[in-house]
Amino acid sequence: MNELAPDTYTTEDGRTIGPPVLEMRNITLRFGGVTAIKDISFDIREGEIRAIIGPNGAGKSSMLNIINGFYIPQEGEIWFRGSRRPPMKPYEVARQGIARTFQNIALFRGMSTLDNIMTGRTTMIRSSLFSQALWLGRAEREEIEHREAVEKVIDFLEIQHIRKTPVGRLPYGLQKRVELGRALAAEPKLLLLDEPMAGMNVEEKEDMSRFILDVNDEFGTTIALIEHDMGVVMDISDRVVVMDYGRKIGDGTPDEVRTNPEVIDAYLGVSHD
Amino acid sequence: MYKLKEGTIKATRAIRDVWEDLPLATAATSSEELMSIPALLARNARHHGQRTAYREKEYGIWQSWTWAEVEAEVRAMALGLVVLGAKPGDHIAIIGRNRPALYWSFVAAQMVGAVPVPLYQDAVAEEMAYVLDHCGARFVIAEDQEQVDKVLDVQDRVLSIDHIAYHDPRGMRKYDHSHMNRLSDVKAEGRAAEQRLGPELDARIAALGYDDTCVMLYTSGTTGRPKGVVLSNRNIIETSKNTSDFDGLNVGDEVLAYLPMAWVGDFIFSIGQAYWTGFCVNCPENADTMQDDLREISPSYFFAPPRYFEGLLTQISIRMEDAGWLKRWMYQRAMSHARRVGPRLMDGAAVGLVDRLAYALGDFFVYGPVRNRAGMMNVRVGYTAGEAIGPEIFEFYRALGINLKQLYGQTEAAVFITQQPDGEVRADTVGVPSPGVEVRIADSGEVFYRSPGVFQEYYKNPDSTAGTKDAEGWVATGDAGFFEEATGHLRIIDRAKDVGKTASGSLFAPKYVENKLKFFPNILEAVVFGAGRETCTAFINIDLTAVGNWAERNNVAYGSYQELAAHPEVMAMVQDHVEETNRTLAEDTMLAACQIHRFLILHKELDADDGELTRTRKVRRRIIEEKYADLIAALYDGTSTVTTETEVTYEDGRKGSIRATLEVRDAAIVPVAGAKLAAE
Amino acid sequence: MELIRKVLIDPWLDMVGAPDFFLQVIWEGLVSGVLYALIALGFVLIFRASRIFNFAQGIMVVFAALTLVGLHAAGLPAWLAFAGTLLVMFVLAVGIERIVLRPLVNQPDIILFMATIGITLFLVGGGEIIFGGENKQMISDELGIPDGSIELNPFDGFVLIEARDLTVVMGAIVMVALLLAFLTYSKMGRAVRALGDDHQAALSVGISLTTIWVLVWFIAGVIALFTGIAWGSRAGVSFALEIIALKALPVLMLGGLESITGAIVGGLMIGVLEKLFEIYWGQPLMGGSTEAWFAYVLALAVLLVRPQGLFGEKIIERV
Repeated sequence: MNELAPDTYTTEDGRTIGPPVLEMRNITLRFGGVTAIKDISFDIREGEIRAIIGPNGAGKSSMLNIINGFYIPQEGEIWFRGSRRPPMKPYEVARQGIARTFQNIALFRGMSTLDNIMTGRTTMIRSSLFSQALWLGRAEREEIEHREAVEKVIDFLEIQHIRKTPVGRLPYGLQKRVELGRALAAEPKLLLLDEPMAGMNVEEKEDMSRFILDVNDEFGTTIALIEHDMGVVMDISDRVVVMDYGRKIGDGTPDEVRTNPEVIDAYLGVSHD
Repeated sequence: MYKLKEGTIKATRAIRDVWEDLPLATAATSSEELMSIPALLARNARHHGQRTAYREKEYGIWQSWTWAEVEAEVRAMALGLVVLGAKPGDHIAIIGRNRPALYWSFVAAQMVGAVPVPLYQDAVAEEMAYVLDHCGARFVIAEDQEQVDKVLDVQDRVLSIDHIAYHDPRGMRKYDHSHMNRLSDVKAEGRAAEQRLGPELDARIAALGYDDTCVMLYTSGTTGRPKGVVLSNRNIIETSKNTSDFDGLNVGDEVLAYLPMAWVGDFIFSIGQAYWTGFCVNCPENADTMQDDLREISPSYFFAPPRYFEGLLTQISIRMEDAGWLKRWMYQRAMSHARRVGPRLMDGAAVGLVDRLAYALGDFFVYGPVRNRAGMMNVRVGYTAGEAIGPEIFEFYRALGINLKQLYGQTEAAVFITQQPDGEVRADTVGVPSPGVEVRIADSGEVFYRSPGVFQEYYKNPDSTAGTKDAEGWVATGDAGFFEEATGHLRIIDRAKDVGKTASGSLFAPKYVENKLKFFPNILEAVVFGAGRETCTAFINIDLTAVGNWAERNNVAYGSYQELAAHPEVMAMVQDHVEETNRTLAEDTMLAACQIHRFLILHKELDADDGELTRTRKVRRRIIEEKYADLIAALYDGTSTVTTETEVTYEDGRKGSIRATLEVRDAAIVPVAGAKLAAE
Repeated sequence: MELIRKVLIDPWLDMVGAPDFFLQVIWEGLVSGVLYALIALGFVLIFRASRIFNFAQGIMVVFAALTLVGLHAAGLPAWLAFAGTLLVMFVLAVGIERIVLRPLVNQPDIILFMATIGITLFLVGGGEIIFGGENKQMISDELGIPDGSIELNPFDGFVLIEARDLTVVMGAIVMVALLLAFLTYSKMGRAVRALGDDHQAALSVGISLTTIWVLVWFIAGVIALFTGIAWGSRAGVSFALEIIALKALPVLMLGGLESITGAIVGGLMIGVLEKLFEIYWGQPLMGGSTEAWFAYVLALAVLLVRPQGLFGEKIIERV
């Protein structure tokens, strides 16, 4: 179905793209009698920025929710890092190394930026509940270790000044950044971004694109993001899946997708918005 | 855990202060040859080797370096520069925000005999290109990708640049590194070359003379191209020595370095005085965290421009407006007592026991917490300068028990011309001549000075040098002022060239009036016109924070600055302020003619990006007069509204334009009381 | 006129006239208040982590006390009975999560609330069958709770402090401190708070609902056990204890469902105020027994002025 690229290759700008991290094979998802996603297959390769685009209601969010374990598809297989993934709960998926953000910002509003990002480290709990309750040596060392990792993220995203601020009080753009930070703190193998630029102005969008590219570049993180607006996404993605009405209508590099007649139809011919 | 670490700084400092609050480090060192900053560094490493010289907050923790460590770092950097081929007399540009590594690069440059040239980090490419080209910088030390990008942008116009070193590697991996590398790599190469090049470096350090150039600082003059002010080691070290003595600065002091490194003040405080006394320089995590960092460090020596103190007071006031009634009441009661008693206590005047007790009580409940919140718990010496500070604002901080003083200075003087001694602090003067400085007032009213700090020359600009400094070493400040006979304190009225005459021949001092207007929290900026005209008029910029807060509290909806500025109630508020200003002006017969007859509120904020202000936020009168000629015409032709269109530059450099229809208002004028003279 | 004086003036004169007695009343009020606060804390914890208003909190107090006494009666030494009760509370928490909560995930709040009423009925029935319905003695001596009293002499008067009450208050302070430290500084505690703030997000960062739910129900169980011991040693162990647990309702109304500070301050306030009212107004004017209703009336009055409670987040409707 895809182009037959070699297992590992290097992009023009010097990044290494590896074998698939995640493969979605013939996924079908129904809600009652409605088919939200119909027999879709695609893969996400290590180190790439993969976009899933499509008009509103195309099934993009459902796809993300399947990857992250909120939905279990009725048909199809999910392969993660070379083995087939059984149906899993979201927290189990998170522990496998898949972190995500949400379209409508899902932060812990009453907690500080620091605490929010610290929760991103949940998947790395090692010491037992008992020693944590008693605040024993190992839990303490771990806490410091996690804090150091979180501080690196804070530094990376340039949000030192809001470290102690409850996130509920932050402006929208910063909240989005904190949410990205929380996902990054998990050191994910695969980072899912649900409309990371929704509701942003041009400048904020540019900032966010910069951060996404930097994350991919500095940490080599594999990123899958969904967007309904083609603009910025086409500039930063390596490959793009296009969905419409639950079907896949295109898959390839931004240039290939842009010239795909079916895609043009979906975006220009028939208006869904 | 982590919390503890953050807290330990304060604790250890408290302990240290008890046993190590040593007097000045002078006596032991007078015999040594302290002819340069590198020589001072060597002395500090010897005498205070284990004391903290620098701190920087990174990853949420204060990292620190002792003087001994700093010496090793600087030496490695200097050797690295030699490896790269830096020669005596080269110019090395330094761009970035206040970070220890960049401060060290100043001294490393001096070690190799080169001249460090700091650049304003928010300079646009155009300004940067001019300065780099003018000084012929061979090396650029840049903080991060953003600054490197700017240099690369202009590199085709600045052919002198051989090599760029950057501090923060983020995002730099993909750059062409043939003429660029990381500052830590420069150091590593330097360390590796110690054997081979060490003796040569030692020879270069030994060769540094007292009259060799220490640093070159570009002034962001109000008109024309920036000028490179050349300051010698003598200028910097003599000035640092004199002024450290003046305020009793010593090795136990702490400063927060947050003002632009390209500004002479930062150079004197964070390098000159810091190396002379050996005190500790703290660098904030980044620009946005400055307030938090200030609170954590709680410096003992603090400098900020009036704008900073204004902004802080506005913040405190807003916080109090929003507080519960009890807090508000306590604050108001305590502050009114403090305003009465605080400044007198600080000046050591006689204060009754009851007032003292009430002040102590207020200190516990209000002043202490406010000082702590403001990060000024331990400020022993605080300065403000650059512009006049509002008396209300100035008194507020004095009342809180913060020893805030004023000084008057210039880049050309290595800062200090006059300053206020403890116990003689007032809002309307700038103090007495600093130690070693002579000041005289010319017949024209212009202030002249001569001192060991007087600059060598404007680089590659003998005409300007000659126009500013005469053969005997007297320098024209360009400011008009006079000495108060009773106190011997200097008072500055305005820029000498801006002090003009109205058409009827009365004195016209626009800046004096503008400052009076700006003392109102609601007014951010004002530009007064009237030279050669019958009457005076003004442009006003409202303060979006203060007025916006007022709007929020009074349920006034607004979508933009422009909309808020045009609101009738805002107009009325500003009119009140203008008329209040007129009343105080009328009290002074000399300045009564400066009363504002008509004014308007501008539809946009004056902005350095549009060239309307300098980078240090001084008004560029000529440019404003050209750009808003239509509005000035409206101020004088009696019309009540005017429609205009203005080009603006957005933060990302794009241009756009704003259209607006502005209301022009008349303000009440107070007739000069002729009878007053007779009565006195 | 007489009445007005009795209502508005006499009580204050009484308080000033006998300051030692006044202190005694305050102390008694504080002791009850501490217990109200603890029970309310149990509610708040569960509400924050799962949005469930746990009607069964009161009966858990009784059940824990009964289990403790029952295990001791069955021949276990006191400390073992205590450990055994902790185990039972843990099993109960796991059981509730498995059998009741898990199948009801994503159901409307009211359904979950009804389910907790079910749990209440189950515990009442189960408790009666296993331990019988009669009044029992708390094993306070066996648990090492000191007896006797301390006498203080402020204002030349005298205040009697039962060692038992003092132990309860100190124990409660330690427990609250531990709980707060746990919630603020540990990763699990952060997870509990996170889950309260945003369910979906909590799941996506790898927080397991199961673990947290068992955890908070277990903590609520421990609080119940502590409260059961404390109250049982004053008033004996019986199903009447549940009535006292219901005092947590006005506390929650005052303090808000989500605020830990609110639960603590609200509990202490109600404890003290109802005691003051009873002694200085209730007994002379209404023949006493005002403690049964005073707290509810007070809460109602507060709600009229501040619908979100004293410490609750202001509910702002965005338009």
